[in-house]
Amino acid sequence: MASQSQNTQRLPEDAHADSRSVSDESDSSNEEGWEDLEADDESQPVVDLFSDQVFPDVRSLLKECKEKHQFDLLKIQKDLDLDFLDTIKLVNYVRSEVKSGNKIPDVSSKSKFADDVYMKPVLEDDALLYSLDDITEEQGEEAAPGSEAERRVQELQEDLERLQTQFSEYRLAVQQSMEDQLTKEDDKLDASAPSGSSNGATKAQEIDEDYFASYAYNGIHESMLKDAIRTDAYRDFVYENKNLFKDKVVLDVGCGTGILSMFCAKAGAKKVISVDNSNIIDRAKEIVFDNEFGDVITLVRGKIEEVTLPVDKVDIIISEWMGYALLFEAMFDSVIYARDRYLAPDGLMVPSHATLRIAPYADPDFIDSHINFWQNVYGFKMNSMLLKIYDEAVVRGISSSTLAADSTIFLPLPLHTITVDELSFLKEFQVTLNQDIDALDGWAIWFDMFFMPSRDSPIPENAVPSDMQKKGYVAFTTGPDGTETHWQQTVALIDHGKHKPKPLKKGQVITGKIGYQKRDTEGSRGLRIGIQWQGGENTKGEQKWGLQ
Amino acid sequence: MSGSGTPASGVITSSADRMVGMEHAEVRYFTSYDHHGIHEEMLKDDVRTRSYRDSIYQNRHIFKDKVVLDVGCGTGILSMFAARAGAKHVIGVDMSSIIEKAKEIVAVNGLSDKITLLQGKMEEVHLPFPKVDIIISEWMGYFLLYESMLDTVLYARDTYLSQGGLIFPDKATMYVAAIEDGEYKDDKIGFWDNVYGFDYSPMKDIALTEPLVDTVEMKALVTDPCPIITFDLNTVTAADLAFRVPYNLTAKRSDFIHALIAWFDIEFSACHKPIYFSTGPHAKYTHWKQTVFYLPDVLTIEENEGVSGWLENRPNDKNKRDLDINLTYKFEVDDPTRRVDGGNCSYRM
Repeated sequence: MASQSQNTQRLPEDAHADSRSVSDESDSSNEEGWEDLEADDESQPVVDLFSDQVFPDVRSLLKECKEKHQFDLLKIQKDLDLDFLDTIKLVNYVRSEVKSGNKIPDVSSKSKFADDVYMKPVLEDDALLYSLDDITEEQGEEAAPGSEAERRVQELQEDLERLQTQFSEYRLAVQQSMEDQLTKEDDKLDASAPSGSSNGATKAQEIDEDYFASYAYNGIHESMLKDAIRTDAYRDFVYENKNLFKDKVVLDVGCGTGILSMFCAKAGAKKVISVDNSNIIDRAKEIVFDNEFGDVITLVRGKIEEVTLPVDKVDIIISEWMGYALLFEAMFDSVIYARDRYLAPDGLMVPSHATLRIAPYADPDFIDSHINFWQNVYGFKMNSMLLKIYDEAVVRGISSSTLAADSTIFLPLPLHTITVDELSFLKEFQVTLNQDIDALDGWAIWFDMFFMPSRDSPIPENAVPSDMQKKGYVAFTTGPDGTETHWQQTVALIDHGKHKPKPLKKGQVITGKIGYQKRDTEGSRGLRIGIQWQGGENTKGEQKWGLQ
Repeated sequence: MSGSGTPASGVITSSADRMVGMEHAEVRYFTSYDHHGIHEEMLKDDVRTRSYRDSIYQNRHIFKDKVVLDVGCGTGILSMFAARAGAKHVIGVDMSSIIEKAKEIVAVNGLSDKITLLQGKMEEVHLPFPKVDIIISEWMGYFLLYESMLDTVLYARDTYLSQGGLIFPDKATMYVAAIEDGEYKDDKIGFWDNVYGFDYSPMKDIALTEPLVDTVEMKALVTDPCPIITFDLNTVTAADLAFRVPYNLTAKRSDFIHALIAWFDIEFSACHKPIYFSTGPHAKYTHWKQTVFYLPDVLTIEENEGVSGWLENRPNDKNKRDLDINLTYKFEVDDPTRRVDGGNCSYRM
């Protein structure tokens, strides 16, 4: 798996969740964040409810809203008898309505924005939300008649206490949603890739780096090194083609523990430059030193797009960049960058070709144990747990007997020439069922890798790794026919909804289109896979899956 | 990989099984349907779920008309057990967004009026009842305490449990034993001595400090188990969760010792007839498996000889979700070639 750290998703939001601060980075002097915010929020600039305009403080914002948009927050608050949390929801409701184009949100009743979804801030660090208790308080002061001053003061004090409690509840809710976010980010975290501190490592980053340095680390590298299908292929290619490596300059993109670099050094490379953005590079340095390759291998920590290499051009780029369904993790973009920036015109990419394959998947046992399971769990219905199961593709090792047709290549990737743009695509495919099935349960996707010894040697159109091996080339498959690799296969389960799936006969031809789209949210390296298919009258569908 | 919950036939079986034994972060990394996976794995852990079900359903007289708090309710299964057993009301609390699913599940099962589900930290949510009669919780982590919610349960107990209230379960006992595990230790630790012809020893030091969550076969046990500590949830305090305790192990046969393992037993002693389950190597598979601590030394032990030492556990100062575990071991025999005096190894999980 992609071992170069490219992880740019440790964004400031994450840091906030851990440092319990909702202010932005400029507030970094203030560890406690919250306490201070309450004190000086009056001077906090605040974004208009109806435009992107920024006001110096909440009062001028509310004035503007009232005069220009006939939106009197304090009056609505009073008329609808909104408590603190209701008011928060109101603000978020208005912001989300305006954001989606409705400039005159309906605020005639509380029920319009009763949904808890409006607890979630629409704007990050929305100063208006953090000032609500103050404006409510002021409102109270203004309304208090002098004669009842004392009683009012007491009421206000009670109000304040209540608001403070509510505020801390809200704080918790915000913090909670951020923590959830953080957890989600963690889920996505390439375990080999704690982000290198970009500008000013935050506490959260440090913790995570420490966390991964301590252990998740070894496991991931162990499982990659022990994936003999993977590691053997690289070793075999390098050792069987020592002539190619002799006295050459090699770049190893995402070097991890440095194994590929050492293969190259041992094969006679003049110089190997190994780049990785993960902490693992410290271990790699020790390992390289222990194995006495220190004078051949230069390890560079950083992103390939940012580091300065000691050479301008290299003869060979070697990289193990492949992710689930080949392109998940999108580290290949970095390899393409390295190729275009550093590879000599006649230079060699190792590996040189990849192909992506798809086959129809029918596995009643899996459906029974993982889908039907939720219909009766110790006497309870838990169907709602199924809602998301079709949204994400599943990575698992499947048996070739669950494939209802021979697989077909939907994208060949000539790695010497392919461009980043070509990694988002929509391609046609066609398969013919080789057995009767009760239902089309999904689609299985995997990839094959080829190591050709020259940039001019093509692979046949329907290249099969085992055939290529017989011809003396190095190649491997991550498909269900081969020995299992840590990539396993990617299974996209079909949601038949309320319709009972129809059986399909042997010989049925299914045509379809499959598309890959990078899911570029805030530097995340997710992938979205969309498939449309049609096979006679019985089978037709379209679905999208995420991979994260 | 979750759902491959079959008892392992060897110390380790397949690569799929090995992945189940990986650290949480890795399991996440390796399974895209993790959210499901985790809950599915737990619900399908029949020993676990059935023990809770039995301890609740067999004690309807205890649950009838009681207010019950479910700490870390997850998909809400325990809350629903309690509601079905006649509880007056059940409050389920969980920090995770899984609670949204739990709400749907509770509604579909017609129990919405009996169960209130709250998302948030136990320390910060506001319960609809000032006191509860019973706390139920499935808080146990690997090695009992890794990423466990026990401190949260204790907070709930101190804050909400009425005088004389009950906790399900209420007792947890940790055990250690020594195992022969040469083949897998070699695969796991020795692996780094020679990786495709290269010396990878820098990785070996880290590997030794990582306890391994894995299925251990009964026949691998060289010694009898030794109970090291029992937590009575009615009285234990959060401070007690950092502890240093002695152990004494006696060999049942002559063999080699490569590792110590730890596991725990759980007791629902508040039941009419107490219910137990064990996560030990002698018991039926659970998703907690056992935790393996490889020793830097290999001990050559003969029948009836003993190994003794101390096990120390405390939450990591920097990262509370991690545990720092230290093992000392002494193998005092006359034979100087076999004797080990000051064995000591630190682990982090």
